[in-house]
Formats: sequence, C-alpha cells, structure tokens
Amino acid sequence: MRSKPESQTFTASMEPLSSGSVDPIFHLLRIVPFSFLRPPKLRLKLPTLTLPSPMTVYALVLLTYFMVVSGIVYDVIVEPPGIGSTQDRATGSVRPVVFLPGRVNGQYIVEGLSSGFMFVLGGVGIILMDLALDRNRARSVKVSYATAGISFVVIAYVMSMLFIRIKIPAYLS
Amino acid sequence: MVGKAEPVNGSVKSGSNQSIPATMQSPLKKSDLIPNLSLKTLKLKTKQQELLIRVSILCLVYVLAFITRLFSVLRYESMIHEFDPYFNYRTTLFLTEKGFYEFWNWFDSESWYPLGRIIGGTLYPGLMVTAAIIYWLLRFLRFAIHIREVCVLTAPFFASNTTLVAYFFGKEVWDSGAGLVAAALIAICPGYISRSVAGSYDNEGVAIFALLLTFYLFVKAVNTGSLAWALASAFAYFYMVSAWGGYVFIINLIPLYVLVLLITGRYSMRLYVAYNSMYVLGMLLAMQIRFVGFQHVQSGEHMAAMGVFFLLQVFFFLDWVKHLLSDTKLFQAFLRITVTTAIGVGAIALGVGMASGYISPWTGRFYSLLDPTYAKDHIPIIASVSEHQPTAWSSFMFDFHILLFLFPAGLYFCFKRLSDATIFIVMYGLTSMYFAGVMVRLILVATPAVCLISAIAVSATIKNLTLVARAKSKVTQTGSVRGSSSSKGSSKPFQRNGAIALLLGAFYLLSKYATHCTWVTSEAYSSPSIVLAARGAHGNRVIFDDYREAYFWLRKNTPPDAKVMSWWDYGYQITAMGNRTVIVDNNTWNNTHIATVGRAMSSYEDEAYEIMRSLDVDYVLVVFGGVTGYSSDDINKFLWMVRIGGGVFPVIKEPDYLVNGEYRVDKGAAPKMLNCLMYKLSYYRFGELTTEYGKPPGYDRARGVEIGNKDIKLEYLEEAFTTSNWIVRIYKVKPPNNRW
Repeated sequence: MRSKPESQTFTASMEPLSSGSVDPIFHLLRIVPFSFLRPPKLRLKLPTLTLPSPMTVYALVLLTYFMVVSGIVYDVIVEPPGIGSTQDRATGSVRPVVFLPGRVNGQYIVEGLSSGFMFVLGGVGIILMDLALDRNRARSVKVSYATAGISFVVIAYVMSMLFIRIKIPAYLS
Repeated sequence: MVGKAEPVNGSVKSGSNQSIPATMQSPLKKSDLIPNLSLKTLKLKTKQQELLIRVSILCLVYVLAFITRLFSVLRYESMIHEFDPYFNYRTTLFLTEKGFYEFWNWFDSESWYPLGRIIGGTLYPGLMVTAAIIYWLLRFLRFAIHIREVCVLTAPFFASNTTLVAYFFGKEVWDSGAGLVAAALIAICPGYISRSVAGSYDNEGVAIFALLLTFYLFVKAVNTGSLAWALASAFAYFYMVSAWGGYVFIINLIPLYVLVLLITGRYSMRLYVAYNSMYVLGMLLAMQIRFVGFQHVQSGEHMAAMGVFFLLQVFFFLDWVKHLLSDTKLFQAFLRITVTTAIGVGAIALGVGMASGYISPWTGRFYSLLDPTYAKDHIPIIASVSEHQPTAWSSFMFDFHILLFLFPAGLYFCFKRLSDATIFIVMYGLTSMYFAGVMVRLILVATPAVCLISAIAVSATIKNLTLVARAKSKVTQTGSVRGSSSSKGSSKPFQRNGAIALLLGAFYLLSKYATHCTWVTSEAYSSPSIVLAARGAHGNRVIFDDYREAYFWLRKNTPPDAKVMSWWDYGYQITAMGNRTVIVDNNTWNNTHIATVGRAMSSYEDEAYEIMRSLDVDYVLVVFGGVTGYSSDDINKFLWMVRIGGGVFPVIKEPDYLVNGEYRVDKGAAPKMLNCLMYKLSYYRFGELTTEYGKPPGYDRARGVEIGNKDIKLEYLEEAFTTSNWIVRIYKVKPPNNRW
C-alpha cells in the first residue's frame, strides 16, 4: 500500500494531467451522470475540418463570378422575362427578341447568362494559355492547352463585341 | 570623364572602361570631346534605364488620367454637373467665404423649409476641405482663380493621384510591372471616369483616392509589420471617413480580411500590429466627424471590426500562453476553454447590446446591399434612384470591357501565388464585384480592384510570353546538345513566332480597350446633365440650357424670401443657382416631408393648394419634356411621387392613377391622373402647341402620345415662367382671395 501512493504521487508529480483533468466541466460530468451511467464504446471521430485547396476555392469563385456578371441580382429583383418577344407588324406572328433594346442597364435572363458565359470563357482561355507554359506536362497536352486557350480568348472577345454591338447599335460610331 | 583617363584604378571592372578612353586619348581634340561626351553620358546602366522608363510611363499616365476627363469642359464650359455637386459647390463657397468654424457650425434655413438643415453635422467635409485647401494654396501662390474652377478640376486631379497609388499598390501586391499596368488601366477605366469627370464635384472623386490609399497603406503595414505604415493607414482611413459614407466598406472589408488570414493560419505579429494600430487610431479619428459621431461603437455595421479586434487579442493571448507553456496537452485544454469562453462572452455582449438598443441595427441603405429585395418592398425612396438599380451585364461590359476577361485570369494567378497581399486583393475584388452586381453605382468601388487584378493577369501573361519569345538566344549560347533534351527543342522558331504573335494580339486587345474607354467617356459620361444636347434636323448640335435659364429667372425675378416647391431632384440646384429656399432637396433625410410634397403633386388642385398654403409655398417648379422629348421629366417620375406619398399618406393610392396597371397620359388615362396637380402644371397651355410635323397639337414627344386633357384651367396658381424649350415651368401660388 505504501508504494502505491508513492508511485501515484510520483506519477502525479511527473504528469499532473491524467486524461485532461484540468477541465472542470469534465470533472463535473465524471461525477454527475457518468458515475452510474456507462457510456457505450463508439468508434466515432469528430469530423476534422480541413481547409480546401486554393484551386477548389478558385473554382467556386469562378462560378460566383459567372453568376454575378450575368446579372443574377438584376434577374431576381426586376424579374425580366427569359427572352423578350415582339409582334411582327406584317404577319402578326410573335418573334423572339434576345437583347433588350434601348437601355444599357437592362437585360433578359438568357442574354445575361450567355454574356456571362463569354466572359468566363475568355478568362478560362487565358488560364489555359498559362497552363500551356508549365514545364511538367507532355508536349501534346501543352499544345492542346495552348490552342484551346487562344481559341477561347478569340471566340470570347469576338462574341462579346458582337453582343454589345447588337445591344447598343450606336457602339463605337 | 572622357578626357581624363585614370589608368591606375585597380579594379578589373573599370579596366575595360578605362581601356577605351585610353585608346581614344591620343587623337583627342576639343571638337571630338562634345559628341563623345553626349554619347558616353547618355549611356545609362540598365537600372537607370528601367527607372527612366518607369518614371516616364507614370508621368504619361498621370497626364492621361487628367486630360481624358476634360471632354465636357472642352465641349460646353467649365461648370458643375448634375445635382449633388451643386450642394457641394455651395458648401465649398460658404467655406471659402466664411471660414472653417462658420462652416462647421452652419445651420441652413434655406432648404427643407420650415425645418432647416444642420449642414455642419450632416455632411462629409473631406471634399469641401480638400477643394478649399487647394484654392487657398493657389491663392497663396498668387494664382487668382475662382473657386468654381478648383471645384470642377478637383476630381480629375485626384484621379491622377489615384493612378500613382495604384502603381504602388500593384508593386506591393505583385511587382512593378503589374503596378504600371494597373496605373494605366485605372487611368482610363470608364467605371471610375463616370464619377470623376471634370465638373462632377462629388464625394466619390476624392473618396476613391482615399479608399485605395487606405488599402495600400494597410497592405504595406501587414507586409512589413511597421507601426509607421499602420498609423499612416489610420490617417488615410480618417481621410476616407471624412470624404464619403462608403467608408463602411473599408471598416467591414479589413476585419473580414483579418478573419480570413486567421482562418488560413496566417496569423503573425505583423498582422497584429497593423490591425490594432489602424483600428484604434482610425476609430478615434473617425469620431471627429460629427456626421459619423459614435457610430463606430454604436452601430451594427461597425461591430464586425470590433469583434475581430477582440478576436485578435484572444489570438495574441493564446500565442503568448503557448509560448509560456511547454506542455501541449495542457495548452490544448486551455485553448478549448478560452475559445469557448471568448465566443460565449462575445455573443452575450452582442446580444445584450442589440437587445438594449445601444447597438443600432444595419441601416436600410446598407442592409439593401446584403438583401437586395429589401429596398424594393420597404423603402421606395432608395429603390427609386436610378443609380441604385441592380446591374445588368451590359453595364458591366460598358464600364469594364476586356477587364471582365482578365479579372478571372488575374484571380487565378493570385490563387497560384497566395500571400498576405494577394489574399487581400482577391477579397477586395470579390466583395466589391458582388456589391457592384447589386447596385450600378457601386461599380465605382469595384473598379480599382478589377484594374489591379487584371493588371496582374496582363503582367503575368506578358511576362510568360516575352520569356518564350526571348528563350532562343539563351539556349543557343549553352550549345545545341541541351537543345534536344528540352521539350521545346525542335520547334523553337515556331514557339518564338507564336509568342510574338500572341504578344501582338495582347497589345491589340489593350488598344481596343483604350479605344472603347475613350469612346465611352466621350459619348456617355461627359454630359453635364444640366445642359442637354441633341442633334438637330441637319445634324448640327442643339443645346438646351433651360435649367440654368429657369434658375437665373428665379434668382432675378422673385422676392429673396420666396419658397419654391419642386420634386427633391432639383433642390440642390435651386438653392445653389437660384438662391431661393426650397421645401425638399436631394438630401432626402425626411421622408415625411418628401411624402407631403409628393401628395401635393398627386392631389387635385384644391387639396394641393391647402398643402401648399400650409408650407408657405410661393412658387412651384416642374420639369416637362414633352416639347423636346426629354425623358427624365417629372411626368415620368410621377409614379415615384405617388408611391412615396402613398407610403406615408394612405389617401394616395397608386392604382387610382393607372389604367389596367398601365401608366398613361392620353385620352384613356385614369381621371385622377388627368386632373392632378402635376398633370395640370406640366400640360398647361400645351394643348395649343404643335410639337411635331404631322402630329396633332398637344402631342407629347417624350411619351409618344397625344395628351388626354387639353383644356386645362388653373384656379389657385398662375403661370410665372416657362423656359424657351418648355423644359422647366414655374408657377406662382396665388394668395388666398380677400374675404369680400
């Protein structure tokens, strides 16, 4: 009996915390429910929160950028139709109108989404061009990235110019 | 330098330099000295060449930013534009005439009759004080210019200064090449030009400079950890608080940035020093502005900064305890306790503060940024301003052009090379782009971020391309053996030509950007709004100067204590140019007063006369665009008057003025519409006027219809003045009849 308290005090002085005994709530819980209740043995682990990688975050950011630049807030508040319509005077048939004419700050939903897509395409094109210069890839992959990147940028620029010319007929005149 | 060859200098480097003058020494004559002098002295080292190029580029960009904003001064004259700048001009005039103390304690009885307005306590003095200081400085140097010229040119001057700050900011975030591109992009970006043309004497012209300066100094402080930079950023923050109500963006973005740094594990002593100094000193300085007052400790919009401040202290404390304790287990327990306690105490304090009302909730203006549908349902005044509408894609394209492509690419480069500074610029860019999507006016706040991030993309891409274009000369020197091992060995000329072609493409895109920006500036953003221009039948330019004509008439032909009732849009201009007391003006601080005016405009003439008598109104001013086709007139704004008036006085109901939900002024219009005061005042005697060839008399060119009620008789008002193009119409309120 004598050696035990000694060893206990010896261990106690070496390691004052045995299984987190500084925590007062832990001690309280040890006495009140868990002196007569027996907790079951579970194999649960607290989910560890790891920060996502930068590129995952960047993908989310790109998606948000697409939505904002397509004018989603305008769509939610003003609630324009998806696509406009006009009635042909001669025949009386209803023709669709894609671009809302007359105002700079107005859009239909589809025109906003397509323009937003063009902007994101241009951005992705420049990223692909940068990826093509990475040294650690196979040459064929680099060439395909480079061609894809250049074609994306060209298409995006040409289409954006076309869209803005349709929307604002007096553009650059 | 050339003539004297000092052969005894010892160092090997100078040996080669010395040998040249030594050989040229013998045939030297005086006439040879001068050309040799010029060649030798002009041959700079590479570093000096680079410095020369950078300085000259910055000088050119500085001048460019100034002169691109001068379109309206060259086309019309040097005058103040729009509505709000007239108030700023009037207060600046008062400041220069009466001095700072009179200005700071000014109570103005000429607006919001009969309430008056405490101007000293309800404005942001930064802009006026800046213009006054420039004016006094120029006067000290004996340049006798009028304060109006200083006011007109303040915004372009500060835009030029912004380009310099953008250069330093770009250098801090990425490198000096990105800084130069950022300066060039921001000099001509239409998003910024729209609010800082010459003549647009408004808070944003100065505030964007202060915003970028604060951000630059704060990032510099976080990068260096120096107390001096942090205090400098606090003073820049003070300048921003004095200049614009948008300082709330700074006081929320910087804590959010600190929070993100803490979450990503980038806590450091530099961050601690930077944020603490900036927050404490900045908060104390901000309380010096009476309009802001104690909001930094009382308003819900500023609580994030305080919360992060305390969180940083907790982090520092934990770091210190960790440093003291050598035991990890003990520290883990301590960590858990402290974090729970801190969060608990913080939540309780916030709850108590909000419940007791000490911490006010978010004001409607800023809450509508987080929940854009709020303003439409609850606050019609905020929803009615055209600048507060959400943004469509074409506004983005108009204001940014190719920067919309470069922005995601620049974000990619920032994410590739994460550091404290790039995390900041990414957060600034994302939050400001979201807010720009919510409100068109806030594209201005997003512009510096978009320009900086696009500059990073441009700089990185061009650097990559030039590396590829210049790779050939390096490889040939190391020998052809290496050539086969590198993956681009066999097609080097193709790659080099491809890179050069891509470089040309990039320069083509940037030149298209410059063309677009200049076109947009010239066509869309350089109109003074107070002077209208149109193309005549033969293509000649016709100018409508009706507004100033009407205000001058008011100034000269009405008694000095006359009170003018008009819709709140024109209040500032009437007080500044007409020098008469107004009932409501653009400050829109009292919704009930505006609703009273709205009710008067939408009621029948006798009810309106009662309201006008109660307000002591002598003259009524309306803007009418039916003759010229001007579409921003009061009839088009009328529904907002009804909505705002109906919001306070339920007797005004919007459906009374509509027919099947449609707003009409022709024969099929609602009877209440055809007889309300606004209709009568706008169309009085208009039924006799033929406005367009082939159309009946009384054809309204702005609405494109013939008006319904042509035979208008006014009982309690009489027409006082109508401008030459019928744009502004002034009516005199008749005094009540004698009793017998």
